[in-house]
Amino acid sequence: MRTGDETVSRRPAWRILPVMILATWITACSPSERREAEERARDTGYRGILLSEPIPKPDFTLTDTRGEPFRFREETSGFVTLLFFGYTSCPDVCPVHMANLAAALRKLPYETRRRIRVLFVSTDPERDTPKRLREWLDQFDAGFIGLRGGLAEVNAVQARLGLPPAVRQGDLVGHASQVIAFAPDGLARVAYPFGSRQVDWYHDLPKLARIPPVP
Amino acid sequence: MQWWCAAQGVPWEWRWRPYPGVWAFLLVVAATYTLVVRRQASRTPRSPENPPGGTERRRIVSFAVGLGALWVALDWPIGTLGAGYLVSVHMVQFLLISLAAPPLLLHGLPRELLQRLERPAPCQRLLRAVTHPVVALLTFNAVLIATHWPAAVDGLMASQAGSFLLDMAWLGAGGLFWWPIVSPVPARPGFPYPLKIGYLILNTVLVTAPFAFLTFSEWPFYRIYELAPPIAGIGTQQDQRLAGVLMKLGGGTILWTAAGVLFFRWYRAEGDPAKEPDAGSP
Repeated sequence: MRTGDETVSRRPAWRILPVMILATWITACSPSERREAEERARDTGYRGILLSEPIPKPDFTLTDTRGEPFRFREETSGFVTLLFFGYTSCPDVCPVHMANLAAALRKLPYETRRRIRVLFVSTDPERDTPKRLREWLDQFDAGFIGLRGGLAEVNAVQARLGLPPAVRQGDLVGHASQVIAFAPDGLARVAYPFGSRQVDWYHDLPKLARIPPVP
Repeated sequence: MQWWCAAQGVPWEWRWRPYPGVWAFLLVVAATYTLVVRRQASRTPRSPENPPGGTERRRIVSFAVGLGALWVALDWPIGTLGAGYLVSVHMVQFLLISLAAPPLLLHGLPRELLQRLERPAPCQRLLRAVTHPVVALLTFNAVLIATHWPAAVDGLMASQAGSFLLDMAWLGAGGLFWWPIVSPVPARPGFPYPLKIGYLILNTVLVTAPFAFLTFSEWPFYRIYELAPPIAGIGTQQDQRLAGVLMKLGGGTILWTAAGVLFFRWYRAEGDPAKEPDAGSP
């Protein structure tokens, strides 16, 4: 037989149940990366990762998807230049970066957008033919520039930027996952690792575009 | 190997993956139900209303279909796609787990089991309190909002335990939401057909807020789906819009269908007053 006392003694358990659920919820939900990006923006002005030392724009020439030589420093001079090394068969990082970048660019005003160049350098020159590279980039934005060169050549450029060399592993290619952003003054101050979101690009790109070019 | 579907960040492929946790959960539920039904059968004398087995066949079928809906929602491929690739599939999971399966499972429970549940006084008081239509409606919508909050989705879906917690929150909230409609225990004479229909329709209105956020948001809500390995031809923004539309139209279809069924039952009951007190069927 149950008594009134038994009933009372059960109440605290029911009372703390919502608190326990809430505590589990709060512990489980830790949007730390979002907070970190916001804190970075507060401290540095950018949601991307600020480089410890600004990197000057390297001077190199690769081939674009029309088969023409592309002189990087000269042809991107005065633009915000987003440089990324990847490959078209990449199953995750490359398409996500490109899709988010393209989506963020579409939301920017034309005046800002026209001052930004996105360059995708293939780390898989064997499979990334000019046609394939062009078609792949066109899925995201027809204005994205695709560049090719020998793997040794591409790795040499990466080394000058402090990036690890691309390594072929079966069908996959191990490569750096960050986008390096050069401001119009020719210096890279910020990098965007995988995990950067559309809202991060949208926040940072106009700031970068406002940096005056070196006369 | 994962025991429960969670976001892994690996590229999607149409290759079957086993989720032993999902099977164990469904097996435990099915085995418990079978045990209860068998025990019921041994206690209940045969009659035209209680064919062999004690529990009416339509209730067993209803429970089995409800369990099937849960299986589809939790296992590969819907469980996998919803956990880490497409928010629209995540929404299909939500609809199946919280709106489709619970009324079928509740309807399938043997009536005697429910009556026994409320025999101890504290249980009865608790059941009456939490299944009060106002409490149930508010709890369901609070869970709906909390479990679609970006921080919750991004935080929970990344781990199997978190993903399990989210699915169970949906199932629990769905059970609570449907209880006043489906279950006659504890009996609610003050909740007649017109109020039940209004209760369901009100929920189609309440769901408009999260629908609008998902459908008309300029930015992807969820980190997990924005950064998920892409599935050919589906962009993050289209996926999120589709999720919003599914929430509104899919949820609306289920709720309006249930409201329609209730309306016809009400219409029939008007002609046969003996049926009015029994609000046991959905």
